[in-house]
Amino acid sequence: MSNFVGIVIVSHSPNVAKGTADMVREMVGDEVRVAYCGGNAEGGLGTDVATIHNAIDSVFGAQGVAVLVDLGGAETNSEMAIEMMDEERQNAIVICNAPIVEGAVMAATEAAGGGSLDEVRATAEEFLS
Amino acid sequence: MEPETIKAVISRTHAEILAHAEELTDLDQAIGDGDHGINMKRGFEAIAAAADTIAELPDGKALEKAGMTLVMSVGGASGPLYGSLLMAMGKAMPEEPGSLGDFAGAFQAGVEAVMKRGKSQGGEKTMLEVLLPVAALLSTADSLDVEAVRATADAGLASTKDMKATKGRASFLGERSMGHLDPGARSSALLIHAVCDIIEGK
Amino acid sequence: MTDAPAESADPNQPAASGQAKILDPTGLHARPAVKLTKLAKTHEATVEIRAGEEGKWVNAKSPNAVMKLKAGSGEILFVRAEGAQASEAVNALVALIERDFDAE
Repeated sequence: MSNFVGIVIVSHSPNVAKGTADMVREMVGDEVRVAYCGGNAEGGLGTDVATIHNAIDSVFGAQGVAVLVDLGGAETNSEMAIEMMDEERQNAIVICNAPIVEGAVMAATEAAGGGSLDEVRATAEEFLS
Repeated sequence: MEPETIKAVISRTHAEILAHAEELTDLDQAIGDGDHGINMKRGFEAIAAAADTIAELPDGKALEKAGMTLVMSVGGASGPLYGSLLMAMGKAMPEEPGSLGDFAGAFQAGVEAVMKRGKSQGGEKTMLEVLLPVAALLSTADSLDVEAVRATADAGLASTKDMKATKGRASFLGERSMGHLDPGARSSALLIHAVCDIIEGK
Repeated sequence: MTDAPAESADPNQPAASGQAKILDPTGLHARPAVKLTKLAKTHEATVEIRAGEEGKWVNAKSPNAVMKLKAGSGEILFVRAEGAQASEAVNALVALIERDFDAE
């Protein structure tokens, strides 16, 4: 399944993260690999680098990974998680500047059509434009 | 540094964080999401648990390993921010650091990593209010004046009280964030004090 | 229904066009829009759609563009394609619309 760009959803809320992934699966299908994470160890709101790192790792393939995030810390921690990947992988992972739910659906649609990482990011980001 | 010195730094910083965890949480409850004490505690517990391994490493690698441990064990913003500080310091540290300049250069690199990670230049009620002036003091000093380092850290911390937060979750409070010390600046000052104490052999 | 061939800028390029009515009571909402986009992407041809005869032609492979059509129930979707597999693309898209996007 590594011929499609993978999608990672990072929200402060585990419910938002899971719900977004559910929407992607239902609307786009399951040919694109989607991982999601959210919430802290206490079950509250938050994101952490180790979990994001694992989520990216779980869907990583030859076409790379597009990451969709919600507020501030989700982006900061995703950047950190990417920097902790092997260097040759880092260039194949992008954080999309797009709203998390809409961006994830758009990105996954583009990915399912065989779009490249750049195309997937562009489609997610053009939602607001 | 001798392995024993590294272990002393780890156990001292760990003890300081433990002793002040509640205070950090209280400060964070006033303007953030109230998890700073618990996050710092979790992070420094993880470093303490790895102390034997870390202490055997050269200084730079020890800092990197400690930073990595923080990043991987602490959620929220504090793990990645403090983790970036230590990891960048470790990378910039010469293999056999000897001079104050070596240490000042590494600290400066660490603070720049925090600025990049937190997307802040300072003046926004964050840990940088403590770190930036201390970095400036170290890089211009001819010799180490531990008392001046403490005083600089304390003044930086005090300056956060009347600042308005524009970064992090405290920024949602706007004007209401004023009148409270920043919890990240408080933990930075604590850690700097702990290291100063060890340098003085306390 | 499909009517081919359509007018084409380049007479050497195969072209096709067709149209179908949106059956879903809520119109061309998000899920069908994604389905349409995905199907269009499986064809090499340039595929465009528009909602109604006065509508603006948009790229049928762009999920953003298709969703922004906000085509309502009962509206006619026009499909046109140019390039390799043009008529297959039009036939497939028209069939999908006529099947009400395989709604469950």
